[in-house]
Amino acid sequence: MNPTRLWAIARKEAIQLRRDPRSLIMAFLLPVALLLFFGYAISYDVNNIEMAVVDESGSERSRALVHAFESSGYFDIVEYPARYADVDDLLQRAKVRVVMVIPPRFDRELAAGRDAAVQLLLDGSDANTATIAQNYAAAIVIRYSSDVLLHARRFVLPVEAETRVWYNETLESRNMIVPGLVAVIMSIIAAMLTALTIAREWERGTMEQLAATPVHRLDVVIGKLLPYVGIGLFDVALAIVAGLLIFGVPLRGNILLLAGLTLLFLLGALSFGMFISAAVKSQVLATQVAIQTTYLPAILLSGFIFSISTMPIALRAVTYAVPARYYVTVTKGIFLKGVGPEVLWVEALAMIIFAAAGLTLAIRSFRKELE
Amino acid sequence: MPEAVRVNELTRKFGDFTAVDRVSFVVERGEIFGFLGPNGAGKTTTIKMLTGLLRPTSGSARVAGFDVGREIDQVKLNIGYMSQLFSLYHDLTVLENIQLFAGLYGVGNDRFADRRDWVLEMAQLAGHQDRLTGELPLGVKQRLALGCAVLHEPPILFLDEPTSGVDPISRRNFWDLIYGFAASGTTVFVSTHYMEEAEYCHRVAVMNRGRIIALDRPRSLKAAIQEPVLEVTTAAAPRALEVLRDAPGVIEVTMFGRAVHAMVEDQAAAERQIPEILAAAGHSVESIRPIEPSLEDVFVSFVHRSGGTLAE
Amino acid sequence: MSAISPLRVRRLLRKELRQMFRDPRMKRIVFIAPVIQLVAFGYAVNTDIRDTKTFVIDHDRSAASRELLEVVEATGYFRIAGRSERPADLVRALDYGKAEVGIEIPAGFSRDLASGRGARLQVILDGTNSNTATVAQGYLTYIVQGFARGRAAAAGALPSGGVDARVRAWYNPDLESRVYNVPGVIGMLILLMSLLLTSMSVVREREMGTLDQLTVSPLSAAELMLGKTLPATLVAFIDLFLVTALAILWFHVPMRGSFLDLLPAALLYILCGLAFGLLISSVSRTQQEAFMTMFLVLLPAIILSGFFYPISSMPEIFQWITVLNPVRHFLEIVRAIFLKGAGIADLWVQYAALTVMATGAMSLAIVRFRRSMAM
Repeated sequence: MNPTRLWAIARKEAIQLRRDPRSLIMAFLLPVALLLFFGYAISYDVNNIEMAVVDESGSERSRALVHAFESSGYFDIVEYPARYADVDDLLQRAKVRVVMVIPPRFDRELAAGRDAAVQLLLDGSDANTATIAQNYAAAIVIRYSSDVLLHARRFVLPVEAETRVWYNETLESRNMIVPGLVAVIMSIIAAMLTALTIAREWERGTMEQLAATPVHRLDVVIGKLLPYVGIGLFDVALAIVAGLLIFGVPLRGNILLLAGLTLLFLLGALSFGMFISAAVKSQVLATQVAIQTTYLPAILLSGFIFSISTMPIALRAVTYAVPARYYVTVTKGIFLKGVGPEVLWVEALAMIIFAAAGLTLAIRSFRKELE
Repeated sequence: MPEAVRVNELTRKFGDFTAVDRVSFVVERGEIFGFLGPNGAGKTTTIKMLTGLLRPTSGSARVAGFDVGREIDQVKLNIGYMSQLFSLYHDLTVLENIQLFAGLYGVGNDRFADRRDWVLEMAQLAGHQDRLTGELPLGVKQRLALGCAVLHEPPILFLDEPTSGVDPISRRNFWDLIYGFAASGTTVFVSTHYMEEAEYCHRVAVMNRGRIIALDRPRSLKAAIQEPVLEVTTAAAPRALEVLRDAPGVIEVTMFGRAVHAMVEDQAAAERQIPEILAAAGHSVESIRPIEPSLEDVFVSFVHRSGGTLAE
Repeated sequence: MSAISPLRVRRLLRKELRQMFRDPRMKRIVFIAPVIQLVAFGYAVNTDIRDTKTFVIDHDRSAASRELLEVVEATGYFRIAGRSERPADLVRALDYGKAEVGIEIPAGFSRDLASGRGARLQVILDGTNSNTATVAQGYLTYIVQGFARGRAAAAGALPSGGVDARVRAWYNPDLESRVYNVPGVIGMLILLMSLLLTSMSVVREREMGTLDQLTVSPLSAAELMLGKTLPATLVAFIDLFLVTALAILWFHVPMRGSFLDLLPAALLYILCGLAFGLLISSVSRTQQEAFMTMFLVLLPAIILSGFFYPISSMPEIFQWITVLNPVRHFLEIVRAIFLKGAGIADLWVQYAALTVMATGAMSLAIVRFRRSMAM
């Protein structure tokens, strides 16, 4: 490695970036723009679930139960079909996701002190929403039921579970989404930034000119990497500020630790992009490889949306090769749990290995010789 | 001091195809050494092996006394290279390109200002140093590329078809620069498919189908030619060429302006037969006379002598 | 503009196909990658709560507390991953991500249970994954209620007169998330492939200077578009068949509707993707720019499709934005055909939306393309 040559390459790369304002703006603003956009748009919080009620009882008690659903905020009763037969059509055309059927004898049974049953029909074609809706609905029915029991008969249920949620007390999905989103967006952006840099130069013929100079491949790879590391750090900083100020996500851990681990992550992800670029030498192919290897894995295999612990063991093994996985753990851990190196050293180690492997692969596969 | 370049049995294969086949030659210091041959003859492949861009399949080569296989870093410090395609950065300015290559070649701050001014003047770009390189005319780009390749004043310069696609005046100017380098002691290794450019070289290696089929000074190459060459002037040269191609006693015919050059086996017999053959085909011959062979004729002759056909 | 000549289009088609597959690596990426991805992601897209790692602190250590924990574990939703007597260990387990749920049973649990005063236990959830937490919370409450009622009934203390919710899920009785998500992955992969196939095509030729060559040839813009779109459509369709077959045969996603209803939707959807790709390609000056724009387009298309996040929970303005997202409509069609056995008649709104978008995007792409040829 030679500092003069490395600097010459880094400087050249930075100037070229500056000359391409469209790409530069995208590199600097894309992450924070995406974060703002999605931070507002998405939420797991299932509310306003469209619901239909078939109240065949039509009594004061049945109306009280319906009111309990309405006032919960989770359900939005949009239809009151008169007949049970209409339910089929409502679910089929996805007008509602949940239907509650209150049978005619509902009031009679309760009045007589016997058990009454209501029927809940769920649209299982969206299993996520259905599961959550099921939980909400069951909880409302249970509460209503115990109201009936407790007030009427002074009965104490023998066991009660008291639940508390840690790290994200209100179960606000934004708190959980924003730190994870930063990690996923950055994994994708990092590959995007570097995946074409070397392939482009081979296609344009400039690499041949570079290759005939005494510049070492280490100088080329690291020199090219430097400006992008700078951009990446800026992107993360901006995203964190936006997360804190705009979304009010708590930052409970050490920000310096976050910065250090971010640097490690960026080194790995950027060198991986560089590796793709050096290995395939064609921009079209590099685009394909970069998107296929980073895009969906970062979203689906990082633990951001789908929990890794429920995956089959073979796939769980694959997730260890997805750097976004570690970074998602890091951002969530530092933001929400406030944990430090005593917990995150595993992730740190994994990211060091990634950075080292990424750099080695990039340097190895970057041959100054033509094929 | 060793020779500038010494090549021994250098071979490069791409799969089944042998691009360069056991080539050996020596280039002396301060020489302008020309590589002549059609596209696909193996010139570029040879130059890429000598500049460390391609690994030889077998054989060895030393450039500036260093082995291209084991001491490529040393080789690169001693050479300048300019490829056939313009390959500076279009989106950098003239000055930024100069700064980049100065950095890569390790031209120190003490020398930089001198070298920069020298390149700007040589490329006739003084006062235009902040223009984007992509906006320059091709001839000027070519001179800038040459300037960037010699920023570090290398003793050996490799130019791979440096003038392809450049207009004749720029080409002439470019060769003046090459003479200038040679005069100051730089070894220039240049490949071309323009026959007339080969005449400017001190020595020329003629390449066809991966092999060197002749290597000498241009004058000696012409003197060595055994087959007589006749210049046939006729009203319809292209059609005459078709007729003569298959005529007995004619080795090869080439167009030369409005005339046809015919390399023949026996001068006297041909001078008699050619007008007859052409007359039979309905073409009248305006004149027919023996001429001193051009390098192109030399090339044809050597291909013929080596028993081969031309690479496409 | 001249009429479309079949001969010229055929020539161009052959050139495009040859260029696409000149590099054997491309073939692998285009046909094998989607298959691998569907298998991998098919397993990944699972939001079922199963074997949730649970850490237990049982201060009571009685027969009653053991029985409760057995019931919790027997449901299959929770797996006891660790036990301890010190509450600090529970904190550690959650901090280190070794457990997602903590259950703390206080001393005196069995005594309170027996005395009928009402026993309490504490449940702690890791809220960093609020989806899992919400669902786990619901299940645990449910399980403990069931345990409590069982106990009360055994003691003869259970009064009747409560309300019972009998839940039935239609279309997907076990509420298996994979059945719902795998069709979503199909939509995602097809979009990715169609965008990838075309977004580089025009800009690449522009960068290499071959676009000028094509521009001066007698090819019309429409012919050029056709030449670029047809091979890509072909490839995307082959991919669609591959991944659909895999979804049905490998993941046993029920196909209740007709494949014939799926075809027009797939064609429209693929055309949308290809047209967006061509549009990106036509407005970009460099491949790098096209690449970045594709990244920019792809993420919102995926996130705002209703695949992961319910559209009904989005703020209203975003719900409107999703109307412009072809992925949303395609996913609705795919899920309805697969799981509900719906047909074109039920889904005409979505088909109409896709038709409008495919035609709109294609026309826009042709207009931009013509302008970029003149550039």
